[in-house]
Amino acid sequence: MAKLVRKLTKSNEFYLLLVIIAVSIVIQLRSGQFFSANNLVDLANAMVVPGIFAVGAFMVLVAGGIDVSFPALASLSVYATTRVLVDAGYSGGVWLPFLLVIVVGAILGAFNGLFTSRFVVPVLIITLGTASVFSGVMQGVFKSVQIPNLPQGMSDFGRSTLFVATNPESGLTSNMPMAFLILVAVVAVAFVVMRYTTFGRGLYAIGGDESAAARAGFKVRKIKFWLFVIVGIIASLAGLVRTSMMDQMHPTNLLGMELMVIAAVVLGGASITGGTGTLTGTMLGTLLIVIVQNSMILVGIPTFWQGFALGTLILVGTGISAVQLTRSRKRAPALVQG
Amino acid sequence: MVDNVIAVRDIGKAFAGVQALDGITLEIAPGEIHCLAGENGSGKSTLIKVMSGVHAPDTGTIELNGKTFSKLSPIEAISNGVQVIYQDFSVFPNLTVMENLALNAELAAHRTFVSWKRMRAVAEEAIAKINFTIDLDEKVGQLSVAQKQLVAISRALMSDAKLIIMDEPTTALTKREVDALFAIILDLKARGIATLFVSHKLDEVFEISERFTIIRNGKSVITCLPEELDHATFSHHMTGREFDDNHFVPEHVSDEPILETRGLGVNGAFADVDLTLRKGEILGITGLLGSGRTELALSLFGAKPADSGEILINGEAVDVNSVRSAIAHGIGYVPEDRLTEGLFLERSISSNIVISELDSFVSKLGALDQRKADAEGQRWVDELKIATPNPANAVNTLSGGNQQRIVLAKWLATHPKILILNGPTVGVDIGSKHDIHRILRTLASEGLGVIIISDDIPEVIQNCNRVMAMNAGRIVAEIDPRTTTESELAELMSKDPSTVDGKG
Amino acid sequence: MKQRRFAGLAIGLVAVVGLGLAGCSADADTSTASGEDAYTIVIVPKDSTNPWFVRMEEGVNKFAADSGNDVYQKGPAETDATLQVQVIQDLIAQGVDAIGVVPVDPGALETVLKQAMDAGIVVVTHEGASQENTMYDIEAFNNTQYGAFIMDNLAEAMGEEGTYATMVGHVTNASHNEWADGAVARQAEAYPNMTLLAAEPRVESQDDGEVAYQAAKELLKKYPEVTGIVGTSSFDAPGVARAIEELGLTGKVFVSGTGMPAANKSILEKGLVKTLTLWDPADAGYALASLAEQILDGEDIADGVNLGVTGYENMTFAEGSDKVLEGNGWVVIDKDNVDSFGF
Repeated sequence: MAKLVRKLTKSNEFYLLLVIIAVSIVIQLRSGQFFSANNLVDLANAMVVPGIFAVGAFMVLVAGGIDVSFPALASLSVYATTRVLVDAGYSGGVWLPFLLVIVVGAILGAFNGLFTSRFVVPVLIITLGTASVFSGVMQGVFKSVQIPNLPQGMSDFGRSTLFVATNPESGLTSNMPMAFLILVAVVAVAFVVMRYTTFGRGLYAIGGDESAAARAGFKVRKIKFWLFVIVGIIASLAGLVRTSMMDQMHPTNLLGMELMVIAAVVLGGASITGGTGTLTGTMLGTLLIVIVQNSMILVGIPTFWQGFALGTLILVGTGISAVQLTRSRKRAPALVQG
Repeated sequence: MVDNVIAVRDIGKAFAGVQALDGITLEIAPGEIHCLAGENGSGKSTLIKVMSGVHAPDTGTIELNGKTFSKLSPIEAISNGVQVIYQDFSVFPNLTVMENLALNAELAAHRTFVSWKRMRAVAEEAIAKINFTIDLDEKVGQLSVAQKQLVAISRALMSDAKLIIMDEPTTALTKREVDALFAIILDLKARGIATLFVSHKLDEVFEISERFTIIRNGKSVITCLPEELDHATFSHHMTGREFDDNHFVPEHVSDEPILETRGLGVNGAFADVDLTLRKGEILGITGLLGSGRTELALSLFGAKPADSGEILINGEAVDVNSVRSAIAHGIGYVPEDRLTEGLFLERSISSNIVISELDSFVSKLGALDQRKADAEGQRWVDELKIATPNPANAVNTLSGGNQQRIVLAKWLATHPKILILNGPTVGVDIGSKHDIHRILRTLASEGLGVIIISDDIPEVIQNCNRVMAMNAGRIVAEIDPRTTTESELAELMSKDPSTVDGKG
Repeated sequence: MKQRRFAGLAIGLVAVVGLGLAGCSADADTSTASGEDAYTIVIVPKDSTNPWFVRMEEGVNKFAADSGNDVYQKGPAETDATLQVQVIQDLIAQGVDAIGVVPVDPGALETVLKQAMDAGIVVVTHEGASQENTMYDIEAFNNTQYGAFIMDNLAEAMGEEGTYATMVGHVTNASHNEWADGAVARQAEAYPNMTLLAAEPRVESQDDGEVAYQAAKELLKKYPEVTGIVGTSSFDAPGVARAIEELGLTGKVFVSGTGMPAANKSILEKGLVKTLTLWDPADAGYALASLAEQILDGEDIADGVNLGVTGYENMTFAEGSDKVLEGNGWVVIDKDNVDSFGF
């Protein structure tokens, strides 16, 4: 029991959860609406896309890299898919769009994977390049424009709901989107992969010490390559979900999300230098940012101050984990002094 | 010698035209404790990599487990019982002890899914083999160096190892930890597991090694028993050069002390230090990690001003409360870690040398006389035989020994009367080490007072005319190096402080 | 060593691919080059993928065909002030004759537009009334009047009573804020039974349909009295409409705003939005290029200037300004006429 408490107080997730609870209570006190069923459903709804992205960003961070190409990758694979299906007049179910984005996402991810596994250039630099290539292909080759009318299957999927939460006082209804299941599935699969497969443990090992991982017998290149294939698929799923739910394809809608997502993952305790972090933390970090982003009006923070409030939160949040880290470093046996 | 664990014969390996290994032969018997010695760049690490399957040799054969290979893969090496413990231990600091121990087995079994239950069982079995108790859920990054090494050894033993190759295993360990390591190695020997130490220092593994193989420039120089080696022959085989192995005897020692301390102390580091240093002397101060030796050095140099006691220079009490005042009183300091403390690695050799006396090259107008400064840099490069084509090259183009000489030059350029050196030859190869020692002896004979602070016992015994041993923040003994053996001194250093009375 | 060489190769490859793509699009853009005395006039929109500006390009191309000049549109890949600055810098370096800009953020463009004018390039803007470094800025209409027009439409939907809030792309966007101000002023003057939500008078959609959707949901949850939202950006109305539909407020809460016919066909037909207002970006693009040509020709720009396209035939200077020219080029779309525009 004492051990569990000690373990808890040492974990980043625990503090993050405390912060989330504190923020929630503040919002509840200021708005009286936070803990209403339909607000919680709204947050779950808003969490879907950043949450799926965060899983991919988290996996790359664990392996010691920072991927900034996932929004561009997702935009391209979803744009290509939607364009092709709309032009072909496709009106069937959503399975084909899913299949197509998964295939295109995997191919684009493989493009990232090819570079990152072969060349000793930081992932950040490579993905900065590939992100430009992806959006360049979308705009140059596909001459991307907004697509107002999606294939019926995607539209229907975007509108389908698991359940509808009604606020008894105001009578407002919020839809729990079917897409939430995609988030749940991605997180569940990622959890199993990261914890119970040699591939997942390999990502942690590579993030901890790449040469040691190679010596231990991990096929580092292969693991990195497949990592980016998987991340390409995850990002494309997020893109498809966003597009379907908006019921329109905005080619640039996702661009610029990468920094917020990476901030969320780091807030969740993943180290920028790789090797540490948990999916629980990642989801909590994303949840915290989503809560704050989507409660500014509820709390009544003036529009002008919203960016400031969010930035402060990220600084404070990452600051807390940094302080935790330095404290635990200090506690470690010091053998440097002579 | 029958039934070798491993025998490499006539191994040759070239990289981009440079012959790293040239006809090396090495045989290790079951249970043998063998030491492979050689200077940096002699080909030691290439040889290990050939033996562990990382590099394929160009020529020669590897006999392993009764089979003959012309080259090995890492998997073949491991499955035939060869395990390497690298200097960095190849552990994952971010993972738990359990995973560090058990992941290899999961990989070796080509599993897709890992089982935490199975991993825990494997890890428990692994640490049990060497009676190592540790919290399996602790992150390896939180462990001490010795504990990390034990994790690495436990891991190596898991895969039915017949030979464990250890790269510089004792460098970062305390004496007690080294003893614990040796006990484990002897235990392995009893079980028929051979150990190959790789080292460039004789004394570290001398007491336990049964045979030595020394290589130089990629060639085998000698394979011999420890009885056939002493410091001089060892150094000779390593470097191909002859060294005098005599004790330092000062030529002219002044009667009056140039430096004295009375009851010097820094809270929490050391206390009651009385020492005297005369011109022409080399005084050794030795002690283990944490004995207060570094703090004493820093205190003498003003970087860590003393909390109690006084410092006298030429018989007068002076206030050494900053580095600046120490320099003004003629004290020079060569720090322990030349890379972080002493040098601007990106700057040129000559500007590093003149930086601490830059003021003397500044004209009345405030402009730096670059020509004069360069000439001074060149003078020291010549005097200390720093191997560089051009003093304008950056310091990081030099080898460790030459970098250390630059730190020396930097302080000699301030014309000190007293020179304090902290670990002057840490990480320096034998050839350079001898050169540095010779320079120090010359400096002393020219009338400088020199203090060497080092835990390298042979170094202080050979190069100092007096040695003080520090233990738990106090001077516990002063010895005459000509009549004291290395092991006697080592004992003084590592004794439980409560049983040591006063100073000798 | 080997790896480093590969790294170089990788970067090189990425660069080549990137350049290749850039090359393709540049070729396409300059292929319309014509006679020797022709001017090169380039229109720089906020975002080249936004259908609004895709439509604008049609007008630009029409002007190119009508005038015989080398006129084309070249915008940043996404709505980003920094990227827009880069596009303009490139054009200065190419030595074009005139640049017509639809600024993402007028403040961020001042320096680069000054550079352009210093280099002897004619600079005109559209939807940038606050821009200082421009020769003339044309507005399809007077922003205040357009805001009033939006309000008239919203008030009609709301039955001229209830509480409303305004939504802008960014609080730093001059035009959006002038429309919103115009709408508020119109309500104060003409609709006494309507009130502006005091606690949250102006929210941001960040020119993003998803943000508009989330912000509208929050707003409607927190302030149940709100029954109308004045939308400005083309992302506002579709996003807010999605929120209205989901919250079960169809027919109770209304949104107005700017929007393109094709993109909003479904929300108009469903009745989530009764009317949207807009001006045809193709006409604006045509007028902007036409203005640049008249300046290059040395013609006098004065009240009543005719830019050759409906709604821009009798431009007048805004009150107190000798730079901002206003037309009256707005149109209303509803479910009945939505199919008649062809864009």
